[in-house]
Amino acid sequence: MKRRLRPGLILAYLVLGLVLLYTITPFLWMIFTSLKSDKEAVTIPPTLWPKEPTLEAYIQILLWGNFPIWFLNSTIISLGTALLSTAIGSFAGYGFSRFSFRGRATLIGIILSSQMLPGVLLVGPYFKMLSTVELYNTYPGLILAFTAITLPFSTWMLKGFIDSVPEELDDAALIDGCTPLGAYLKVILPLIAPGMVATIIFAFLLAWGDLLWVLVLTSGEKMTTVTLGLTRLVTQFRIIWPQLMAGSMIGALPPLILYLLLQNYLVEGLTAGAVKE
Amino acid sequence: MNTLRARSPSIHIPFRLAQGFLFVLPTLLVLLVVLGFPIAVAIINSFSLPDGGWTLENYAKLPRDGRFRNSLVVTFTFVAGTVLLHLVVGFIIALALNTQVRGKRLFRVIAILPWTVPDVISGLIWRFMYNPTAGIINRLLFDWGLIHKHIEWLGDSDLALPSVIFADVWRGYPFVMLILLAGLQAIPRELYEAAKVDGASTVQEFRFITVPSMRGMILISVALDTIWQFRRFGLVFNMTAGGPGNVTEILSLYVYKQYFRYFNFEYAAAVAVVLAIIMLLLSLPYVRAMVRRLS
Amino acid sequence: MTKKFLNLLVIVSMLAITAPVVIAAPPVQDGGQDYVVVNDDWLSKLAEKYLGNLLAYPAIMELTNQKAAQDSSYATITNPDLIEVGWKIYIPSAAEAEAYLAVPVPGAEPGEEVTLVFSDWHLTEPHWEKSLKEAFETYGALHPNITLELDYVSYGDKDTKYATEIQAGAGPDVIHLHAYSLRSFIERGFLLDLTPFIEAEGGDAFLAPWYPQTLAMMQYEGSYFAIPGDFMSMALFYNTNLYQEAGLDPTKPPATWDEFLANAQALTRDKDGDGQVDTWGFGTIGAVDPGFELRVSPILFSHGGDYLNEDYTCSALNTPQAKEAFAYFTGLFTEHEVIPPGVTAQNPGTVREQMANEQIAMLLGSGWTAPIVASVNPDLNAFEVLEVADVPIKAGTDPDFTTTAWLSAWAINPNTEHPQEAWELIKFITAKEQEQKWFEDARVTSARSDVSEEYQPLVTDKFAKAIAGQLPKAKFVPQIKEWPQVIEAVNTAAQLAFTGDKTPEEALEDAHNQINEILGGTGCPGF
Repeated sequence: MKRRLRPGLILAYLVLGLVLLYTITPFLWMIFTSLKSDKEAVTIPPTLWPKEPTLEAYIQILLWGNFPIWFLNSTIISLGTALLSTAIGSFAGYGFSRFSFRGRATLIGIILSSQMLPGVLLVGPYFKMLSTVELYNTYPGLILAFTAITLPFSTWMLKGFIDSVPEELDDAALIDGCTPLGAYLKVILPLIAPGMVATIIFAFLLAWGDLLWVLVLTSGEKMTTVTLGLTRLVTQFRIIWPQLMAGSMIGALPPLILYLLLQNYLVEGLTAGAVKE
Repeated sequence: MNTLRARSPSIHIPFRLAQGFLFVLPTLLVLLVVLGFPIAVAIINSFSLPDGGWTLENYAKLPRDGRFRNSLVVTFTFVAGTVLLHLVVGFIIALALNTQVRGKRLFRVIAILPWTVPDVISGLIWRFMYNPTAGIINRLLFDWGLIHKHIEWLGDSDLALPSVIFADVWRGYPFVMLILLAGLQAIPRELYEAAKVDGASTVQEFRFITVPSMRGMILISVALDTIWQFRRFGLVFNMTAGGPGNVTEILSLYVYKQYFRYFNFEYAAAVAVVLAIIMLLLSLPYVRAMVRRLS
Repeated sequence: MTKKFLNLLVIVSMLAITAPVVIAAPPVQDGGQDYVVVNDDWLSKLAEKYLGNLLAYPAIMELTNQKAAQDSSYATITNPDLIEVGWKIYIPSAAEAEAYLAVPVPGAEPGEEVTLVFSDWHLTEPHWEKSLKEAFETYGALHPNITLELDYVSYGDKDTKYATEIQAGAGPDVIHLHAYSLRSFIERGFLLDLTPFIEAEGGDAFLAPWYPQTLAMMQYEGSYFAIPGDFMSMALFYNTNLYQEAGLDPTKPPATWDEFLANAQALTRDKDGDGQVDTWGFGTIGAVDPGFELRVSPILFSHGGDYLNEDYTCSALNTPQAKEAFAYFTGLFTEHEVIPPGVTAQNPGTVREQMANEQIAMLLGSGWTAPIVASVNPDLNAFEVLEVADVPIKAGTDPDFTTTAWLSAWAINPNTEHPQEAWELIKFITAKEQEQKWFEDARVTSARSDVSEEYQPLVTDKFAKAIAGQLPKAKFVPQIKEWPQVIEAVNTAAQLAFTGDKTPEEALEDAHNQINEILGGTGCPGF
C-alpha cells in the first residue's frame, strides 16, 4: 500500500520531530552523563559525548547500597498502588456513570476536595494513624497512601471511558439476567482497557517517583525505595551525577516495561469491542 | 454532523440506586479513612496557636503577608502556563500519533520517557542543564553560534519562571497525551468513515467529531492536571527553590518552607487551607459540568 | 512487626522485673519519703539513686509540688535544674513515679537486648559511612546487648524527616542535626533534655573539653538539648596554580578585602584567548541554600556588621558596615564580574565543582573543601595546589570576629524508649578518641578543644590548622527560631541584587524591613 504524503501528514511529522527533540534531549543528556566518569560529568565547559564512555556508574549503582532491594520495594509499592487504585476506581467510575443516586454532586465534591491539601500537611497525621494500627514501615501503609492520592484520577478517568461505552451494551447484558457487577465485568471492563492502562501507568509512576511520603513513612534499608535511595547521591557536598543518572535510567525500566506490555491495549481497546458488536 | 455523538444519553433505572452507591463505596472509604483524619488535623491546626488554644490570627495574617500574595500570582501564572501547554502539546502529539505516520510505536514509548524520571530528579537535571557555564544548553547554543554571552536561565527574574515552565511541560505533557490518546482511540472509527462518505474535510472532522467526542476527556485531564499542578513541588524546589528573589515561589513551596524551614506548622496549615479553598472554587464549574452530564 | 513485638517483650519483661521490687520495697508513708536537699544534690541524681532512673526526676518535681500545694513546709520546684540546700522535697516510690510518668520508667536493665535507631546524613557519604561503621564495630564490642539500626537520610531531607516523624511520636533514637536547626526543634519539643545525663556524668567537668561557644549553641533556657559535633570555621581557599599563572604571589593571600578584589580581578581571565572569560577570581553561593549563610556571614562580620542588634529584637542591616559588606559582596558579581555567571543558581556543591575545574581561583570553604575538590578532580592534586588563609578583613580595622563556623549537633529523640542507651551512644560518638577518628577519616575539626588544639595530626595539617586557628574569631549566627526566615530574607535580597532587579541598597533595605516585620520589631529604629 503506497501512502501519499498529504500536507496533514507532513505537519504531523514536523510537529512530532520538534517535540521528539524537546523530549529526548534531556534524556540523552542523562544517558551520556551516566556513561561518563565522575570527573567528566562535571567538567566545565561540559562535554556532550562522553570522551571515554564507561559503564562504571551502572556497576557502582547496582553494587551500591541495597539497590536490588530498593528496586523490589518500589515495584511492589507501585504495582500495588496501580492495581488497587485502578480496580476500585473503575468500580466508582461505573457507579457514577451508570447509576443515579442521591448526593452524587456532594460525592464528586468530596472526592475532588480530598486532593486539595498539599501532602506536606497530611503526611504527619497519616504517620500517626499508621503507627496506631501498626502499619508504619509496611507496604500496605504506603500503598494505601498512594492509592488515596491516585483514586480521584482513576475514578474520573474511568468514568469518562465508561460514559463513552454505549449503554445499550450493558443494558442488554442486564436484560439477559446479568447482575450489574456481572455486566460490569463482562461488558464494560474489556471495553475500557485503554483508560485502565492510562490509570495503571499513572498510579504506578506516581508511587514510583514519590519522595515525601516514602521519606517519612519508612525507616531503614529494608523499606527504602529507588527514588529515596537515589536522593542519597545528592550528598551534603556534591551530587554524584553519573550514578544518579545511571540509577534513574535503571529506575525508568519498570514503568517502561509495564508501558510496553500494556500499550497494545491502549491502542486497541474499544475498536476491538466495536468489532464484536 | 452534530448528531454524530459517541455517547448516547444516560438512562437511569430507579431500582439501581442503592447498587450505584455500593460501587462508589470502596473509593469513598479509602479516601475517608486515609485522608479524612489528616485533613481534619490540618484544618484544626490552621485555627490553632503553637502552644494550643484557638485563634483566627493565622488567617488574619494572610492578607498582610507580601510573600503569600506574591506566591498566589506566581502559582496562577505557573498553573495556567503549564496546564495550557500540557494540553496543547499533549493534544497535538496525541493527534499526530493517531494519524498514519511511521514510527508511532517508537514515539509513543519515547514520549513517556520524561514521565518515568522522578520529579525531584528532573528538577536537578534541569538545573544542571540550565547552568550558564556548566550546563549543556548554553554550551550547545554557544557551539551553534546562537548566543555570544552566557544566558542566566534561572538567574534572571524574567527568564526564571518561563524556564521552570518549559521544564515542567517536558515532565508533564506525557500524562495529558496519554489520556487524550486513550480518548482518541475510543472514538469509534465508524464516525470518521461516515464523515468521509459525507465528504468532510480533515478540519471538519476535527471540529465536528474529534473535539465533541473528546470534550469529556479534555475536561477531565485539564481538571486533574490543574489540581496536580497546584500541588507541584519537587521540580521547582530542586530547580530554583523559589528564586531568584521570590519569582518562582509557588504556594506549595511556600507552604513547605513555612512548615519545614520555619516550623510555623499552624500558619502553613492556614496557607494550605486557603489554597484548597481557591482550588475548590475553581473546580466548581467542573463539578457542575460533571453533575450535568450525570443527570 | 518483629521489632514491635520485641519492644512489647522488652516492656513486659521490664514490668516483670520491676514488679517484685515494688512489692518488696519497705512500706513507707504514701509509698515515698521526705528528703532534705544537701550540697551537691540535683534532681536527676536523686532520681537515679532512689528510683533507679535519672529520667524519673520530673516525678520528684511534680509530686513535691503537689505536696507543697497542701503543706508549705515542702519546697516548690519551678526549675528542675535548680534546687537549693535545705529544701524539703518528696521522693516518691517507684510505683508512684511510674504512675505519674504514665509509662514504665524507661531504661533497660543491663544486658538486656536493645535496638537503637541511629540516623545521620553522613551515612550517605561513602568515607563517612565506612568510618562510622568501623566505629560502631568498636561500639558493638563494648555494648554487645545493643543492636544499632542505621537509618540513612540525605542531607537535604533530614529536617523534614525528623520533624514529621518526631511530631508523630516516632523517629530514630539518635539524630544528627545542623546546629542552626536546633532552636526550631527545641522550641517545638522535638529534642530530649540532656541536662540530667550531663549532670550524672559530672556536669561542667564533663563539658569542659568543648568550646564554650559551641556549648552555648546547645543550650536553651538553661538546659542542654544536644552535644556539639563537627566544628569548622570558614576560611579562604585559593588555587596556587592560578595565582602563579595570573602573576600573583601564591604565598601572599589577600589580607584585606581591597587586596582580595585586586587579586580576584587579576585572576579573572580569558586563558584560551577566544574572547570569552573562562577563569574567574571567586566563586560563591547565590541559590536559596543552607550553605548561603556560611559564605555571606564572613564578609558581613569581617566588615564589622551583623544581622541583628544585640538582643536580637531588630535588624541591624541598616548599619553602614552591613551596607558596605552587602554592596561589596554583590558588587563582586554585578560590578566587577569576578564571579562566574549563574551565581543565583550556585549551591556549595556546584561552586566546589567550579573550583575542581579551575574555573574559579578562590572560595570560602572549610574542612570539607580540599577532600571534595580532590575527589571531584583527582588530577588537580588539590591537597597540594590549594592553600588556605584567614578570611580577609577591611583595611585599617581589627574586628573581633572575622568569620563564622559550621557546627553540627547530636541529639536524642524525645520519643525514644531507650534514652540511657541513646545517651551512651552520643557519649561514644563525641568522645575524644572518636573525634580524632572523624578527623582522620573525614578531615573535620572538632568542637572539642582537646582534639582541635591538641591532636597532633590535626594541628600539623595545613588546612585543619588554619581552620582550627580561626575558631576563636568565628561568630555564630543568632540563635532564634525566626533565623531561617531572617537568613532567607538576606538570601533573597542578595539574589535580587545579583540579578540587577534592585540596587544593593534597595535590596538590603527591603531585607531590613522584612526582618523587622518577622521579628515583630515595630519599635525598631526606622521601622
